[in-house]
Amino acid sequence: MRYVRSALFVFGALALAQLLAPYLPYPFLFPFLASVVASAWFGGIGPGLFAVLLSGVVVDYHFIPPINHFTISLPEVPDLCSFVISAAMAAWLSTDRERLEHRVEERTAELQQTNEALRTTQTELAHAARVMTMGEIVVSIAHEFSQPLLGVLTNAGAGLRWLDAEPANVDEARSAMQRIVRDGNRARDVLAQVRTSMRKAEPKKVQLDVRAAIADVIMVVESEIRRHKVSLRFETARQLPSVLADRVQLQQVVLNLLLNAIDAVRSVEDRPRTLRIHTRHDGGGELVIAIEDSGAGIASHDRERIFDAFFTTKAEGLGMGLSISRSIVEAHGGRLWVTSKADGGSVFQFTLPVTNESLSP
Amino acid sequence: MTEPRGTVFVVDDDASVREAIASLVRSVRLDVRTFESAHDFLASERPDVPACLVLDVRLPGSSGLELQRDLRGRGVTLPIIFLTGYGDVPMTVRAMRAGAIEFLIKPCRDQDLLDAIQDGLGRSRAERLERAELAELRERYESLTPRERQVMAEVVAGLPNKKIAAEFGTSEATIKLQRGQVMQKMRAGSVAELVRLAARLSAGHEPS
Repeated sequence: MRYVRSALFVFGALALAQLLAPYLPYPFLFPFLASVVASAWFGGIGPGLFAVLLSGVVVDYHFIPPINHFTISLPEVPDLCSFVISAAMAAWLSTDRERLEHRVEERTAELQQTNEALRTTQTELAHAARVMTMGEIVVSIAHEFSQPLLGVLTNAGAGLRWLDAEPANVDEARSAMQRIVRDGNRARDVLAQVRTSMRKAEPKKVQLDVRAAIADVIMVVESEIRRHKVSLRFETARQLPSVLADRVQLQQVVLNLLLNAIDAVRSVEDRPRTLRIHTRHDGGGELVIAIEDSGAGIASHDRERIFDAFFTTKAEGLGMGLSISRSIVEAHGGRLWVTSKADGGSVFQFTLPVTNESLSP
Repeated sequence: MTEPRGTVFVVDDDASVREAIASLVRSVRLDVRTFESAHDFLASERPDVPACLVLDVRLPGSSGLELQRDLRGRGVTLPIIFLTGYGDVPMTVRAMRAGAIEFLIKPCRDQDLLDAIQDGLGRSRAERLERAELAELRERYESLTPRERQVMAEVVAGLPNKKIAAEFGTSEATIKLQRGQVMQKMRAGSVAELVRLAARLSAGHEPS
């Protein structure tokens, strides 16, 4: 097909060249070069060289004296040669575009793969970081408290026994009490340190584009969503009212709710696995962000407990995600709650106070 | 028997924990000795009394589990109560397999610790009693003449006097006399009791 096309180009060039013959000294030069370039451009190097060959033969026959003969007189050889060489070079240059395109395609595919891998890693990291930091914090705080607490309990037990003894040993009881005070102070120091380190992580509130912040989180969980064949819809007004929030913390809340929602729909087999994120602003002082899932829903007796620290319904859960999410939202002056949908599934919603009313649609 | 009430050894690197447990143990009228490290404990002279060991799993230097292994290697049978900072299941399993009697997670209740200590001392006492009885039983057995030991073996095997006499080529009356000596020296009231004592003696020879 491509060769037929290049033959057509060449014969087109022949027609044009014969038309121009009365007016030009080398009538074949431009039309045939153009046909070679066009053949190579659209057909690649093969049809390009085919056009060179065909043009050479046609030019020899029609335009190189003796005219209408395939024989070539010696003085005309350089003319024909220079034509063939420049035509071949034109063909070669024209196919560069194709080679370039090919390389661009390859690179694009590579980039897409890398991007995919990156996103998967990102999701895993986000998940791992959530679990790890939480677990580490809990373990290290628990450990720091366990020593002084063991001291307090043991000394208290000892003190009571010294007092209950016959006769009561007040001196021993007193020193047990003193040790209780000392260990209690030690625990208080630990608590003060925990508070100090928490204060370092206080929210840095900025005027935030909620839509963009949520879109970033969706990007992070995209591969997770695809892996579990979940369909996610993000419905929001193009222009949301501006809110004052800590970007990282807000994204942590959304990430948390999204990962939970994915967990909720993962095991669903008998209906579509759908997630829907939507925002609502009734013109009041609050922006509502809701995440709906088509999962099994939450048993009514668990509905409030899921926000308690260390409560979890998952085999591998720490029970900290929703508790932390709620405290983040409340630190922003909002609320986080859950309702059940009539057709199964849950809706987690949280509010953020709107700071700039003029931006509202 | 006037056994002392017992000594509790405490090995923990945290001074305040050592002090607290020491006071608690003394408040129930038990002796206590505290050590900062496994090394200090191994280097110490231990009194020959009923005892148990309260041991922190996480110790600087050699860990609590290593100390447990060292003690077993030295043939020291000391009931061990482990204290751990967190519920490390594999560690618990290893320690229990190696003969720990209790594994308490810090912070534990004072009463739970005391119960474990009493249990440990009880085991230590029972073991000492067992050992003392066995030693006495051996002494009794050592006091038998070679012939009396042979007769005892035949009696325990269930042979009547007549058969034993035939086997040793003596009269039944002689065997009866020797048998009486065996029962008296071994302080056995009946053949059944003699059989039981013999069983305990042979069990005591095997490494436990």
